Amino acid sequence: MVESERRHHGPRGGRKRRYREDDDYDRRQRRRYEEPLVVKVRRQLLTIAESAARRAEDDVVSIAKSVTENYEDEELRQTYVDITVDLSLEQPLKIPFIAATVLVANAYKPELASDVIKKASVYLQHYIDTGAWREVKLLLRFLGCLQLVFEGSGIFSILEELFARAVDLQTASSEDLLGLELVKIILFTIPYVMASPATGFEAQAAALLEKTDIIASTPHALVDLVKPFGSEHGDPSGEQSIISLLQTQLQEESNRNWELACLPRPWKGGRDSEEEQRPFDSGGKHTFPQIVVPNPVQNGSRAIFPEVYFSVYANQEIETVPPMSDISSSLLRDSLVDTINTLDFNRIATAKYLIDVDCYFTPHMFVKRATPFDKLRDMSGDRATWKPEDVAVDAVFSQLFQLPSPEHKLVYYHSVLTECCKIAPAAIAPSLGRAIRFLYRSLETLDLDLSHRFLDWFAHHLSNFGFTWKWSEWIDDLELPLVHPRIAFITGALDKEIRLSFAQRIRGTLPDPYQGLITEGKEKDTPDFKYSFDTTPYASEGNEIMQLIRKKATDEEVQPIIDAIEGQAKSMGVEDPMLPSTDAFVTAICFVGSKSLSHVLSCIERNKERLLAIGPKSPHARRQIITSVMEYWVDQPGIGINIIDKLLNYTILTPLSVIEWALVDRLQAGIILAKTHIFEMITATVGKVTNRLRQIVAARTQQGLYEPQLSVLDETLKREKADMKALFKLIEDSIISVAGGSNDELMERGDGSGDLPEDEIIRQWGRRWLRVFQRKANVEESFIAEAMATATTVGTNAPPPQDEATATGVLADGDLDVADADGVADVS
Amino acid sequence: MTEVAPRNTVERLDRPSAYYMGKNKRRKYSDDTEKPREEPTDNLKDATTLYVGNLSFYTTEEQIHELFSKCGEIKRLVMGLDRFNKTPCGFCFVEYYTHQDALDCLKYVGGTKLDERIIRTDLDPGFEEGRQYGRGKSGGQVRDEYREEYDPGRGGYGRAYADDQRQREEEEYGKGK
Repeated sequence: MVESERRHHGPRGGRKRRYREDDDYDRRQRRRYEEPLVVKVRRQLLTIAESAARRAEDDVVSIAKSVTENYEDEELRQTYVDITVDLSLEQPLKIPFIAATVLVANAYKPELASDVIKKASVYLQHYIDTGAWREVKLLLRFLGCLQLVFEGSGIFSILEELFARAVDLQTASSEDLLGLELVKIILFTIPYVMASPATGFEAQAAALLEKTDIIASTPHALVDLVKPFGSEHGDPSGEQSIISLLQTQLQEESNRNWELACLPRPWKGGRDSEEEQRPFDSGGKHTFPQIVVPNPVQNGSRAIFPEVYFSVYANQEIETVPPMSDISSSLLRDSLVDTINTLDFNRIATAKYLIDVDCYFTPHMFVKRATPFDKLRDMSGDRATWKPEDVAVDAVFSQLFQLPSPEHKLVYYHSVLTECCKIAPAAIAPSLGRAIRFLYRSLETLDLDLSHRFLDWFAHHLSNFGFTWKWSEWIDDLELPLVHPRIAFITGALDKEIRLSFAQRIRGTLPDPYQGLITEGKEKDTPDFKYSFDTTPYASEGNEIMQLIRKKATDEEVQPIIDAIEGQAKSMGVEDPMLPSTDAFVTAICFVGSKSLSHVLSCIERNKERLLAIGPKSPHARRQIITSVMEYWVDQPGIGINIIDKLLNYTILTPLSVIEWALVDRLQAGIILAKTHIFEMITATVGKVTNRLRQIVAARTQQGLYEPQLSVLDETLKREKADMKALFKLIEDSIISVAGGSNDELMERGDGSGDLPEDEIIRQWGRRWLRVFQRKANVEESFIAEAMATATTVGTNAPPPQDEATATGVLADGDLDVADADGVADVS
Repeated sequence: MTEVAPRNTVERLDRPSAYYMGKNKRRKYSDDTEKPREEPTDNLKDATTLYVGNLSFYTTEEQIHELFSKCGEIKRLVMGLDRFNKTPCGFCFVEYYTHQDALDCLKYVGGTKLDERIIRTDLDPGFEEGRQYGRGKSGGQVRDEYREEYDPGRGGYGRAYADDQRQREEEEYGKGK
């Protein structure tokens, strides 16, 4: 990719000779240029702990001294204060190091620490008010690391207050998740307080832990919903909720005198050129900032679901990631996941921090980067065998496989793994290989939604790396029955690869035994038009319609041929004559439009009226449209489902018709459930419905909405919600018979015993489908319920005019801003 | 009173490119009217369209669709064509329904591979008729006129460059004769 390299030199091309002089001039300039102190401190702060070649402890001292010695330099001071808080929010891995600079600075200039604390507390108040709980967690962590400089019990007072709110929420409702989130925040703050240089808080920590136990250890009803593995075959990784896991780990740790081996202590042993670092407990003490926790607290924009601990490296013969019994597993994971999710705007930076994970925790916790897995075997017993790249990659997978859905689009997590692989291929590629093998082996029990995410990531990832994969190791599996999840994965992955590339290219990447999977039809750009064979019924009419569509003929010209087909069909006793006429019409559109998506779209656009008229006349003919599209593109189903998607947008198809087509007409005793493109099609269709409903909910719950619009929107919401429920009901009803093995056709297969090996596999597909769509139904249902809880009730009229002016004024500014201003006033 | 306005500690990938900003700056200076002009980023604040560059001439709409729909539903896809022979010439416009989808695409897809080439994405104020054609002398994109490297995915050597080479060879051949 010569081009991509070139782009770094700017649009004019950096290699051109005439710019040489400019370069030289720049270089001379640079030599004489002395970096202002503020620039130096800024850089030191932003890159703190990033390099294994520098001692972070020394940078800590150097930064603290630079800023305290020049305290009057307002720009420097302000830069320091701002960046400390910005980094705490955006790069949690650096919090202990940033906090260390404050601890050291406090010994020289307590005013500086006071400035930092003030700013952090204003931010903290804001995030508590707006329910941005990750930000709250990170700022509390930062302040927790500073426990030493606070008077009295310091941070514990706010932890106690948060706990009180959690208890209220839990008492009010057994379904409460926000209270659990608060407990999670408390639990993730404690270890940082206990690892900090502050001493004498063991009793308070233990007391708090005792209180959180009952909430943290009680499993939430929704935990089952988000488990990555089906319950039927046991849980490969245990799958405790993150919060109950952490509760146990913390109790263990308190029994071990808060060893917290993985957390760095960068305030120890820092050296500056001339003198030893001043003992930091000599500095002044500060009152812990007064923070008002609203009662009750609110949740912000991020939906909360229970989380379970997921690892693709669990149960390996050699431990390459911390085991769940070790608190390091939770602490590392938490920091990495927050890093991944906050830095979604720069995947390259994210990847870099992930690769550098070993810089941010206790040195020697990990083996050297890129140590091959086989080498770990030779290492002596007591030493840690954790591979930094496994820990990093595991954290990305935990998000990619987060149920019901991760914070960002799935493709973000793909892109992070791609970047990691680009930065450190030798380290990352083998780790990904082991992850892929684990996931492949788990295909039968992995949640179906996650299997699909795995498939999608796998194909996309390979497309970034020349489609190289060791396919030879799965050759034996090609003997498995066609409905086996592994065969479904292989064929599905190859199909996705082809969609991102082309058949011939993918064929070239495959060993011989796989060649049969790339059929001749997949290599054809234009699939055959069945009416060009005389043996096809209605061949001449089909051809005629095709010619007319190609000529962009008018609807009137097409009608006689449609009539001819329907006449013939009637005379042959076809029950619904619209089926063969629709087939000819739609197949012709597919053929004429086969050159590209825009070709088929303009064909559909031109024949929109006739297509729209089909459904209302005959529901069967409407489903025939789907049959015709999917049969024309049978070898490239990706194109087929794309067209179906567009037909839904045109309302030529209805979501219900798509479900009926797949799960009623074509269920084939459940065999269709093994087809990955059918899952994709149904998921996309359901996604369209739920997206639309969420938009309606957003409209219905917007502030400042009054009658009569209120009732209009409420009606729409009720109607569409009922439609959505009907859709989910149909899916459930169709699949439940397969899952339970009571489907008539399924029972008639083979000897009718339902005991064939394939029968059990099909029942398993049924159960996995069921779980996915029941979850989706649940999630949407609770989303609507939650959103509507605070919505204006129907019948509310606009307040009288003079009030309206002020009310809308407030709304236009965003009511949150007003609340913030109050919060700020309270602390300052 | 402290304002709550955290600043990013690393660069954002969802900003308009230096190329876009530079293009507008140049225009700004050549224009000598005194009236205040729009900031170049203003017309991008709700942009839903992306310019996509460095595609192979052989990359299809379906391939583009497959990758770009990972960031959201695609509203419209316009292939860049050679002005004269109306064949793909290595760029396209992808339009999403929402601004956020376009930003996500910049962050997650720009700079990754499609059809085994690193593609470039840039926020675009919106497609207008005529912009689907290459602006180079011979009908394709300008960058393909003078390219000195051989790029099999984009028609070999740059067209003007290749013409130059041919002429030089012919001249040298003539000298030898």
